[in-house]
Amino acid sequence: MTFSILLQILWTGLAISSYAVLFAMSFSLILKVVKIWNFAQAGFMCLVFYSLYVCLNIFDWPMWIGVLASFFITSVSAIGFFRYGIETLRARNSTSLTFFILTLVVSQFMGYFFAMCFGTEPISITKNIMSPVIMVGGIVISHWDLQALGLTTLTVLTLFVIMHKTHLGQFMSAVADHPTLARLYGIDVNRVYLYTIVLACLLMTVGMYLFGLKVAMLPNTPLQMMLLAVIATLLGGMGQVFGAAAAAILLSLLQSLSVFVIPSEWQSLLIYAFLFLTILFFPQGFSWQTMKSFLGGGKT
Amino acid sequence: MIPILKIEKVCKRFGGIVVADAIDLEIHAGEILGLIGPNGAGKSSLFNLISGIYPIDSGEITLMGQSLHGLSMVKRAQSGISRTWQHMRLFPSMTVLNNLVVASRYYEAENLRALFFQSGKVKGLQAEKENDAMEILVRMGLASLSNSPIADLTFGQQKLIGLARALMNDGPCLLLDEPMAGVEGQSYETIKDIVRQEANRGRAICVVEHNISFVKDLCNSAVFMFNGKLLERGSVDDLLASKTLEALYFGGQKTIPVS
Amino acid sequence: MEYVISVLVLMGIYVILSSSFNLIIGYGGLISIAHPIFFALGAYTCGVLSVNMSIWPPLAVALGAGLALVFSLMLSLPSLRISGDYLLITSIGFQLGLLEVIKHLSFTGGASGLGNIPNVVDFGDRSTVFAAISIALAALVFVFIRWLIRGPYGLLISAMRDDELVYTSLGRNAMKVKLVIFGIGCACAGLAGGLYAYYYQYVNPDQFEILQSSMILTMVVVGGMGSQWGPVVGAVLLLFMPQAIGFLNFPPSVMAPLQGLLYSSLVIIFLFVRPQGLMAAFDRNSSRPSK
Repeated sequence: MTFSILLQILWTGLAISSYAVLFAMSFSLILKVVKIWNFAQAGFMCLVFYSLYVCLNIFDWPMWIGVLASFFITSVSAIGFFRYGIETLRARNSTSLTFFILTLVVSQFMGYFFAMCFGTEPISITKNIMSPVIMVGGIVISHWDLQALGLTTLTVLTLFVIMHKTHLGQFMSAVADHPTLARLYGIDVNRVYLYTIVLACLLMTVGMYLFGLKVAMLPNTPLQMMLLAVIATLLGGMGQVFGAAAAAILLSLLQSLSVFVIPSEWQSLLIYAFLFLTILFFPQGFSWQTMKSFLGGGKT
Repeated sequence: MIPILKIEKVCKRFGGIVVADAIDLEIHAGEILGLIGPNGAGKSSLFNLISGIYPIDSGEITLMGQSLHGLSMVKRAQSGISRTWQHMRLFPSMTVLNNLVVASRYYEAENLRALFFQSGKVKGLQAEKENDAMEILVRMGLASLSNSPIADLTFGQQKLIGLARALMNDGPCLLLDEPMAGVEGQSYETIKDIVRQEANRGRAICVVEHNISFVKDLCNSAVFMFNGKLLERGSVDDLLASKTLEALYFGGQKTIPVS
Repeated sequence: MEYVISVLVLMGIYVILSSSFNLIIGYGGLISIAHPIFFALGAYTCGVLSVNMSIWPPLAVALGAGLALVFSLMLSLPSLRISGDYLLITSIGFQLGLLEVIKHLSFTGGASGLGNIPNVVDFGDRSTVFAAISIALAALVFVFIRWLIRGPYGLLISAMRDDELVYTSLGRNAMKVKLVIFGIGCACAGLAGGLYAYYYQYVNPDQFEILQSSMILTMVVVGGMGSQWGPVVGAVLLLFMPQAIGFLNFPPSVMAPLQGLLYSSLVIIFLFVRPQGLMAAFDRNSSRPSK
């Protein structure tokens, strides 16, 4: 194992972590502000992908129109789901059990719907998922890698600016911390939810665009990718969107590096091992305090 | 005579908010102690600390001479601490009788070996619990409600059942959180009588109350809490005559006057 | 006729699955989507044991249920320590992850499944015998759960569900009840798995995918969560659904997702229109309907 192989794996792993970051942030954002474990995200991820597929391959639209269209479709559907689904259950004071069932079943519904329409063979949004490469210092860097990293960085920065430097961001924090109080202060909580959902859809769209350029997918695939998003959210800490992003990068890199230690056919299981480790040791999210208390046995 | 419940220098804070500031308190058998003070004084929090919902930061709580340090909520209940809740919190999906039965100090059916292999014995013990529950209901004059769902009860009746549930523990220490809030008429008298009866049986009872006439009627002594501190203690009459109390509780002053 | 008999076998199996799942989510208020994997554990245990050695079938089935119980603790102990919500997440991981493991192991036959499970019924008409055993086991599970719910343990379950904090302050152990309910539910799923393996004599990972959890969830939600007859009614109704849509002669690659689509739609419709399910109004012993 040479240094350049290590570097290659790190580079490729970092590039792949791009869409993982976006999905994790989307999940974490909804959890933080809207306060639901949005397992329906897998379904919406499917919606982005397949509507993009249809736009590109059936209507023959150019990529950017396709992306905009799928973003629009997904946002409208997500808003509709929230307004007519989640809000109705909230008005009834439903238990969290009911919310979980609903979000999960919506994802399953969409999965079956797309399986029915598009069959059980993996499909990709473009005919050719290989992208041109350049060599830099012995490392293969593909155009996709650059696009992924660039686009993701841009998106994350935009989200950061929105959340920390705009009024919307302040409102989102207020609603996240205390919705009733926020309402009393005159913040239109429902509008904040709306914007949050749209932002989450934006993250999903960029993520699925990148993912779709690289991988051929089955309707079941987003549910498995969601798992990484959920673990990253847990590890990053509830309410820490950028913490989830960092955790997603870490988990992706670990997955990529694990090829040195684990035979490739068992790699898919790594994520489940991560899940159990997180639940066992870091259920409240990773923090130095938790780490210290494990290592030093001192009081937290 | 050792006190049944002893609280020594108990402190607790949540971030910047001090809910308990070096509280010293003793309750003896047969005593009914009134705990009064404005909202936010830390009265319910003290109950939460005693029953073990969250741990104390420092100090000591002792029940019958045994420290409660490190004991879980479950163990404290099994040692004989029982309480009522400000909002009753009865079990809505169960009948009145079952609400009481499930509150017995020991519930043998929790043990799987007993449940599956000694079902006869468990059945017998269950019947005993039902008898105990009925006895309490009869004392309260609510025997006819034993099979009613909670939703059918009036507010006053629900308060009584909340008290009945605490009595099922049959323990030495009873913590009553605003048992009279919103209660009037017959229910009021019944609660008063029952609490007096329980004190006469040797239990140590602490009552958080805003209803001053109840406190005057029933309590042997009282303490006044404000901002987590125990400011005054003594007989109910002395306390009610205190100038500090007047200022802070009835007069709406926000800080402790410098004497 | 043969067809009706084989449906009866399946009915018994699904009544066990839906009743035990109802125990977990309807009575226990816990949410897990991992029921199919415990079904699989029972099925694979019987399959692997009977393929590799000659073993008395009831023993194998009991071992399957036992293994499911042990695995259920592996899932519930760490997650419930945190909260009931975490159980959902870990159950997703468990369901997907363990299925992956099964697909990779050689002694389970990997992704192509385990066949040649020996026939254990060589007296009388095989299907009829299996149908009788299946219905009998289903009745047994139903009666057992009924006994549990209506007895002193049932009070614990209801109280824990109603108000966990108050429950604990009374000196009761909430975690234990959850572990027990989850364990019993999963063990019953393992039991059903053993029956399944012996009847079909072939098990394959695809049979235990998320589609199964949709189906079982639909049976419980439509039949009525937290009622005793609800899951039975749900199981019976939903088993006839594939027949109902069977007349649409779609190719199998459409039929399977179509079924899943119908199941999910039913859950969604019932969640909004009739959350208490079909049976809740008629069942005296149903717990407070979840909204």
